[in-house]
Amino acid sequence: MFTEIKHTLRRMRGASIGWGIGLFAYGLMMANFFTSLEMMEGFLENLENYPPEMLAFFPNIFDIMSPIGYMDTYYFSYMTLIIGFFAVVSCANLLVGDEEKGILDLLVSYPVSRSGFFWGRLLGFMVATAIILLASWLGWLIPAGSSGLNLSAVELLQPFLPLYVVLVLFGGIALLLSMLLPAARMATAAAGGLLLVNYLLVGLANIRTELGSIYKLTPLYFYQGGAAIEGINWETLAGLTGMTLMFILLAWWRFLRREIRVGGEGGWKLPKLAFGGRRT
Amino acid sequence: MNNSKAIEIRDLHKSYGRMKALQGVNIDVDQGEIFGFLGPNGAGKTTTIRCILDMIRPQSGSIQVMGYDPQKNPRAVHRVVGYLPGELSMEANLRVKNALRYYAELRGNHVDKDYMYQLADRLGLDLDTPIKNLSKGNKQKVGLVQAMMHKPRLLLMDEPTSGLDPLMQQEVYRMLKEAKAGGTTIFFSSHIINEVESLADRVAIINQGVVIEEAEPEKLVNMEVRQMRVRFKNEVDTHRLNQVPGVSLISNGNGAVAMLRVEGDLDNLIKALGEFPVSDISLQRQSLEEVFLAYYKTER
Repeated sequence: MFTEIKHTLRRMRGASIGWGIGLFAYGLMMANFFTSLEMMEGFLENLENYPPEMLAFFPNIFDIMSPIGYMDTYYFSYMTLIIGFFAVVSCANLLVGDEEKGILDLLVSYPVSRSGFFWGRLLGFMVATAIILLASWLGWLIPAGSSGLNLSAVELLQPFLPLYVVLVLFGGIALLLSMLLPAARMATAAAGGLLLVNYLLVGLANIRTELGSIYKLTPLYFYQGGAAIEGINWETLAGLTGMTLMFILLAWWRFLRREIRVGGEGGWKLPKLAFGGRRT
Repeated sequence: MNNSKAIEIRDLHKSYGRMKALQGVNIDVDQGEIFGFLGPNGAGKTTTIRCILDMIRPQSGSIQVMGYDPQKNPRAVHRVVGYLPGELSMEANLRVKNALRYYAELRGNHVDKDYMYQLADRLGLDLDTPIKNLSKGNKQKVGLVQAMMHKPRLLLMDEPTSGLDPLMQQEVYRMLKEAKAGGTTIFFSSHIINEVESLADRVAIINQGVVIEEAEPEKLVNMEVRQMRVRFKNEVDTHRLNQVPGVSLISNGNGAVAMLRVEGDLDNLIKALGEFPVSDISLQRQSLEEVFLAYYKTER
């Protein structure tokens, strides 16, 4: 299993470095921009002119002058979607991607259990995602004192934990779907679609209260976002973690029983119609 | 189950939906032998190998590999087996040496690295080249090295010399014979009849999910159809030979020469020829390819 963890990290190093550097730079820039916000006259009044449908996606936008509101608006409100796509694509291809390329065919002939492959690759993904978020946290942390955010390292770290769990949750959904659907790209599309729909519900439920009952059933309802700076809600975090574990365990169970396809084989087929076809 | 057997397969059935890939396959492979597995495309060769490795699960039947059940103890099977797939794919961005290092790590580093590099050297592999830049033949060499580097007790190889030039094919045959001399059992499938004929101690022919014949290559050849050329001292009515059981006349040159196709025992024909003024007889040994093709045609 440890070999697979190392190997997965090696394979994901490009993504880890790219995302890590990008989010580090973004954090550095946005942290330094915080003090400039106070100097912008009429900023809050201007916000009121934005369409409510748009403002609905940033629930703390009118609190933007505070560190929590600022970080929630400019980072935690939409990073679930942006980094979420990385998680979905990575996990949908974690095992099934290699199966479709024909690479898994050789690897499962080695004396590593299916569980070893599964958990090794998943843990590799989780470590890579943690590295990306760590880089992002450092981007906010380094200028935190001079930027006026005045948040400690622990306070800054706290909201990254629920974000991490949400990313692994949607990765787990993608991983499970890759075990159930005929192709990794279908799993990517389905899991990505679920992530997008959930994100849209975050905003739409603020405008259309009738969507609230559906929104309350989705993972992002339990996501604290920037509010975790003041303290993590361990109950909701435990709930999210439980959901994550459930999807991962189901995916693991399916992989243990999976028939490894030769690259390119397999898929759903529509049932043949009783009529049709060329008559001679 | 017999512990002297490397592979024992009993009544193996495997279906993919409605398609029956294996319909009661029975195979015995003794330890230390080279066993060839022949069959047309879609016959069930790869399905059989993948069942042996627990990549896919049969609907019924049993398999024992070196005394282990692959479904109950797959890791034990994988420890003793070296596998070369028919459709070999590896991570494209790895260099050859890094790929081999990764495979060695997956074996818990129970690999003699000197032996691994020796194999690579014999096959002329450049270890610093990325896999994606290798030709098909060179990728096959990497596949051979990873299959053999841990000196497995059983080699499962699907078309081992696919993509290799004739010189490299010969080198691989030498390596396989050396492995056999070292006690390794080799189970391989191939479309190259000469390869099977020259390497295999025993051959099984599979078609439509059933093993239709299993024997030493020589026995297989001798059991089957042969061609005989008979020259007579003068013109005779060669069509009378068509009436001999198992004999059919292929051609006759003005009645003085007859080309005959003989199935099975020669005794009837030899006795029939006693009535003819025969001046010369030559028997053309059927190749395994002709035997093979004859099976394809009769079973389809």
